[in-house]
Amino acid sequence: MSLVDASLAAGYTLGDFLLVAAAGFAVLAVGMLYRAVVGPTMQDRVLAVNVLGTNTVVILAILGAALGEPTFLDIALVYALLNFLMAIAISKFTVERGGVL
Amino acid sequence: MWWVADADPASGGDDPDGDAPDAAAAAADSDATGASGSAGAVIVPVEPSSTLRSTVAHVAEAAAADGASAIHLVEIASWRNGDPESEERAAAAERVLERAAAWTTADLDDSEAPAAPDVEVVTAVLGADDYLFGADDYVRVLAEYAEANDADRVVLDPEYTPVGNTTLLQPLEFALSNTPLSVETAPVDRPTRRERFRTEATTGRFVALFGLSLAFYLLLGNPTYWFDAVTGVATAAIVSITLSRVSLDSNPAIPRTPMRILRGLIYVPVLLFEILKANLVVARVILDPRMPIEPTMNRMRVIVGSGLPLMTLANSITLTPGTLTVRARDSDLYVHSLVPWAREGLFDGSLERWTRFIYYGRRSARLPTPRERDDVAILQGPDATEELPIAAAAGGVVDASDAADGIDAADASDGSISSDDASDEVTDR
Amino acid sequence: MTAAAATETARVWLVVALTLLGLFFSFVSMVGVLRLPDVYSRAHTASQADTLGAGFGLAAVAITVGLAGAGFKSVLLLFFIFVTNPTAAHAIARAAFEEGIVPWIEGDDRR
Repeated sequence: MSLVDASLAAGYTLGDFLLVAAAGFAVLAVGMLYRAVVGPTMQDRVLAVNVLGTNTVVILAILGAALGEPTFLDIALVYALLNFLMAIAISKFTVERGGVL
Repeated sequence: MWWVADADPASGGDDPDGDAPDAAAAAADSDATGASGSAGAVIVPVEPSSTLRSTVAHVAEAAAADGASAIHLVEIASWRNGDPESEERAAAAERVLERAAAWTTADLDDSEAPAAPDVEVVTAVLGADDYLFGADDYVRVLAEYAEANDADRVVLDPEYTPVGNTTLLQPLEFALSNTPLSVETAPVDRPTRRERFRTEATTGRFVALFGLSLAFYLLLGNPTYWFDAVTGVATAAIVSITLSRVSLDSNPAIPRTPMRILRGLIYVPVLLFEILKANLVVARVILDPRMPIEPTMNRMRVIVGSGLPLMTLANSITLTPGTLTVRARDSDLYVHSLVPWAREGLFDGSLERWTRFIYYGRRSARLPTPRERDDVAILQGPDATEELPIAAAAGGVVDASDAADGIDAADASDGSISSDDASDEVTDR
Repeated sequence: MTAAAATETARVWLVVALTLLGLFFSFVSMVGVLRLPDVYSRAHTASQADTLGAGFGLAAVAITVGLAGAGFKSVLLLFFIFVTNPTAAHAIARAAFEEGIVPWIEGDDRR
C-alpha cells in the first residue's frame, strides 16, 4: 500500500488531499494570470508567466504523486527547463540590442 | 612606486626572452641617443583578446617604421594586491605580457625597417595598488606611466576590454583624447563577436562535462538498462564535444573542486534557514494591509571573483527575501531591497563572506564587510548617497559581459559544475 | 500500533504540513505579485516566496513518492527550481533595468 492510499480523516485519503492541494495551486495560478494580462510592462507579464510556470511544475508533480503516475515528474522537469528558458529568452529579446545574456 | 613593473627599466628586471638587458640599457639612454626618428615611445594596453596578436604586429611594424624609441606593453590591473586570487591574476597577467613581448620582439626581428633593432620592448603591470574605477582612472594611470617613460602615443587594441567590460573602449579613447597623448586604434580585422564565451578545450573539462551529463542522463533513466546506457553515452559525448568549450571556464582540479562542493554543502542548510527566516518576515510585510515597504535600489561592490562565485552570490542575494540582484556589472552588484532591514543585512555582507568561504576557503572569508570597506551605496530615497545610473542604462550602452557567465553555467542544465578563476576572461577587479 | 504504521502516519502528516506550507508561500507570492507597486518588488516575491512555496510542494511530493524511486526526480526538480528561479528573476529585473524602468519609491504615484 502506498502512502497515497493512507487514510487521513473522515474516510478521505492523502491522495484526495493532494488533489485538493493541486486545485489550490491552480487557483493561485489563475490569480497570477491577472498580472500577466494587465501588465503594465512587458517584464511584469514575463514575470507573472514565469511564476505561473513554477506553479504548473508543482501542480504537475503533486498530480503525479496523487494519481500514482511517476512519469508526470519527467514532464514537470522538462516544463521547468522550458519555463526557465522562456524567461531568459523573452528578457533577452524584449531588451533592444539583446544585452541580457 | 605606483606601478609594478615586471621588467622595470631601472632595475633591469627579469624580462622574458632575454631582451631585458637592451631594454634596460635603452631605457637609460634612449633620450640621449634618441634612436633614429623623432617619435617617442608607444604604449600598448594589453589584455588577452582575439586581436592582440595582430595589434602587436601592427605596433611593431609602425614603431620600426617611425623609429619609436620603445614599445611599452602594459596591463592595467583589474585586481588589487591583497584581494583573494590577486596573485593568480597577477601571474596570469604576466603570462599574457610575456607572450605579447615575445611576439613584439619576434616581429621587430623580422622587420625590414632600419630602425627596428633600436626599438626596445618593455612590459609593466599598472595600478595593482589601487582600485581603478572606470575610464578616467585608467587614463590617469596610463598618463602617469607615459610621462614617467617619455611616451607620446597610445595604440589601442580594438578588442581591448579591461575588466571584461566591452563598453569601456570608447570612453577610454575619449578620455585619452583629453591628454597630450595621441591615441590610435590599431587597424586590424576583428573576428566575429561572441568569441569571449569560448574558452580553451581541455581534456579535464571534456571529461568533467561528459561525466556530469552521463550521470544526469542515467539518473533520469535506468542505469541498468543497456539502451539507456548506450544513448546516454552518445548524448553525453555530443554535449561534451559541443559544449565543453562553453560551459566550463576552467579545469576542474583536485582537491579544490571537491573541497568547494563540500563547503557548498555546508552552505546549503545555512542558506535554507536564512531563506525561511526572512521569508516569514517578508510574508508578514506583504500580507499586512498597509504594506509597509520602502523599496530602494542599492549598489554594492563585492570581492568574490567573477563567474561562478559571482553567480552564487547574486543568486543567494536574490533567494534571500527582501533583496534582489538586478544587475551584476563587473563586481558591482545592483541590488533592489524591499525593506530597510534587508538592505542593512545585505551590507553586513554575511552572504558575501559565505561565498568567499565556499570558493576560497576559511582564510579568505575574513575580510572586512562591504560596509566597513565603504563599498556600498544607496541609490534612491531620502538616504541616497549616489545617483541611480538608470539614465545611462536607458541611454544605450549594454554590455554583454555582466553576469552572463553565471547564467551560462546554469543554462548548461547542471549548475553545479565547479570552475576556477584563472580564466582568460577577467571580469572583476 | 506498529512502528511501521507510526512512521507512515508521521510521513502522512509531514506531507500534509509541507503541502500547506507550500500553498501558504505560493499564496504570499501571488498576493505580492498582485499588490506590489513595480516590477522590481514583484520580482522579489516571484523569486523568493514562490521558490519556497514550490520547494515545500516538491518536498511533499518527494516524501509521498518515496526517495528511492521517482521521488529522486522531485529532489532534482527542487534543486533545479532553486537555481533557475532567482536567475530568471534576475534576468527579468535586469531587462527592466536596461529598458530604463525607474524603481518605485515611497511617494511615487505610479502603481
